[in-house]
Amino acid sequence: MKMADDKKYEYSVNEVPPVGHLLLSAFQHVLIMVVAIGIPIIFAGQLNETPAFTASLVTFSMLASGIGSIIQALRLPYLGSGYLCPNLCGPSYLSLSLSAAWIGGLPLMRGITIVAGLIEVFLAPVIQKLKNIFPIYIVGLVVALVGVSIVQISVTSFFGQTFQGDAISNMDIFIGGISLLIMVFCNIWGKGFVKIYCLIIGIFSGWILAMILIPEYWQNLLAVKNSPLFAMPRFQSLLNPVTFRFDLLIPLIVIAIGSTLKTFGNLLAAQKMSEPELKEINFVPIRNGIVADGMATALSGVLGSMAVDTSSSNIGLAGATKVLSRWISVVAGIIFIILAFFPMLTNALAHIPKPVLGASLIFSGCFMICAGLIQMLEEKWDQRKTFVVGIALFFGLSTAFLPSLYARAPKLIQTFFTDPLPTATILAVILNQLFNLDVLYKKIRK
Amino acid sequence: MIISNQLRRFFSYATIIFLTLVLSVFISGCESRYENPDLSVYQYRDTKEIVKFVHDASQRIKKDGLKSLDYFRNDRKLNFSSDRYLYIYDINGVNIFHAGMPHLEGKNLWNLTDKNGKKPIQMVIAALADKNNPHAWVHYSWWEPGKFYPIPKSSCHFKVTTPEGRVIFVGGGLNYPHEEKEFVRIAVDGTAGLIKEKGTAALAEIESPASPYNFRDVKVFAFTNEGKLLVSPVMNDRLAEFKLMDCVDEMGHKPFEKAMNGLKNSDSVWEVFLTKNRYQRTLVKKSLYLRKARLDGSEIIVGAITDLPQPPG
Repeated sequence: MKMADDKKYEYSVNEVPPVGHLLLSAFQHVLIMVVAIGIPIIFAGQLNETPAFTASLVTFSMLASGIGSIIQALRLPYLGSGYLCPNLCGPSYLSLSLSAAWIGGLPLMRGITIVAGLIEVFLAPVIQKLKNIFPIYIVGLVVALVGVSIVQISVTSFFGQTFQGDAISNMDIFIGGISLLIMVFCNIWGKGFVKIYCLIIGIFSGWILAMILIPEYWQNLLAVKNSPLFAMPRFQSLLNPVTFRFDLLIPLIVIAIGSTLKTFGNLLAAQKMSEPELKEINFVPIRNGIVADGMATALSGVLGSMAVDTSSSNIGLAGATKVLSRWISVVAGIIFIILAFFPMLTNALAHIPKPVLGASLIFSGCFMICAGLIQMLEEKWDQRKTFVVGIALFFGLSTAFLPSLYARAPKLIQTFFTDPLPTATILAVILNQLFNLDVLYKKIRK
Repeated sequence: MIISNQLRRFFSYATIIFLTLVLSVFISGCESRYENPDLSVYQYRDTKEIVKFVHDASQRIKKDGLKSLDYFRNDRKLNFSSDRYLYIYDINGVNIFHAGMPHLEGKNLWNLTDKNGKKPIQMVIAALADKNNPHAWVHYSWWEPGKFYPIPKSSCHFKVTTPEGRVIFVGGGLNYPHEEKEFVRIAVDGTAGLIKEKGTAALAEIESPASPYNFRDVKVFAFTNEGKLLVSPVMNDRLAEFKLMDCVDEMGHKPFEKAMNGLKNSDSVWEVFLTKNRYQRTLVKKSLYLRKARLDGSEIIVGAITDLPQPPG
């Protein structure tokens, strides 16, 4: 296996790994991406839709994710960050998409998804102009919170819980724990193949263990044979109408800003891992990455799928394995597109036990959280930073700890205090300016 | 030297995998020995597990007879946890075994009444005879051993004739149970049968808080095809008149109107709608189940509303 000279990476961002490694690494990323197949399934379930609708939604979501992953990595002019940062159906737009689908069906959901993507494209150059309001320690905070944002989905999956308040099985915790330990052991003590493919090793060991311990997992896998091996997506649905309602514009803008900030955080993390030698943020690939993300979101609206988003977990995996080649994202995108035409294979991957998937998300989330914290504390610390980060974290994390409190909060607070990532980011940016007013004043006087 | 290191590493990995497999096989040995009942109608793991738990116990008694009571009595902890416990009664209401409340054993609880006037043992006997209720679910209030406050309970039951020829039933219940769609289906379909059998006289029975058609927040209601209320979905009073077809959910949808359209091609229909919840920022999904029934030769509609599972978090 070829190793990078400086041992910072197994494969650096522009390096093309040999075909075998390229395919296997891409497959490893696909295994994490399949977690997101659950989002369109949850969405269709919430709408009480038919299995045919669910299958179509999953297929088009996979197509949109695959195309998004490719354009994000290719580094075309003004389009794509050129980092290993695959796309998948994120939960950011789930709530709004659901409301839109309830009010105006699929045409309205398509409409708001297209507009959300365009808002993100519009915000991309604005983010570039915000260079001065994102000092390195706030960038670190944002990256850490990207990891924090997957805590809920990863831990509930680790415990194998499907519905709120339902039973948790000791066996699921055992399976999740063993899977996580295998991934971590392979990553710490493994070398070469074992270290790079620690996630694949962990997932498949956990899957086998789950099938031995819980017959239901084996039966689920056997049921896959009832799905067709090959099926064409229902492209005629692209001719369905697209509608929009302006009363949804304000919540849409707020959610699009939140999603843009999440993408910003993801791309910052990807940049930090891919190009650690950079002394300050290079905003050009980040701007282009946000444009690509917006385009992918708009494309998912055109296709009639769920809105897609950059994946925090995949960036964490790249950091864990030190395999950062953007070509892996391209191949992972291609695999995802191919899988969309093979429902049997997609169904098989969708049956990876939840505790195993939870373990893989925790594994990759660790790298995001720690990369952000390390970056945040690299700078000389002072009281201003303590209060900026502390207050931002208090209120940002409270949105996750105290959802019932925010359910009763004034409308304005409810609108902006949504999730830890956007809430803490907005607060940190504002407080950083506020607590440095004296510095700003001195600069102006000079 | 290199080969020796590689061999050592290989054996280390092999040992870990072997030990994991041994542990797995050991743990998998704790699985049920009996063929499972059909659990596909249930959504929650808690519900599936209680049915399996009670079914396994009933199979043991069916096979080993009354001597298996010693097995249950010798290790009560096996059949008693904070969420559930096992009990066995004869069909006259005499308690034979109670994992959580041994002081009830030997007592006849036929007339025991909960805070709403429900008689659980009599309800169980009726449920066991109801083909529409395959696992004989009943819903009532009970109390936890050593506690003083009522707790909502849903219990399932299996009737067993022991090899000695004694007819008994085995049951187990969930404290603070989840609302399963199956519970609502059983209640509504049962109401349709009751109305067909008893006519208008059934309406008063359906409205009674002591009937099996009302439990927790679930309340079976009835109305004519024109929307005239026969049993109200919200009040125990037919005077609380309102136009069901015009009622809207939080998104402005008309679930009754939509469900009635669905009933044109089917005898029963499920319709989802959204309501507010004080503790959640997002709207909460609920489900409306309607089915056709016959009242004195005319077609009417019976139905009920229930919660639906929420995503974890």
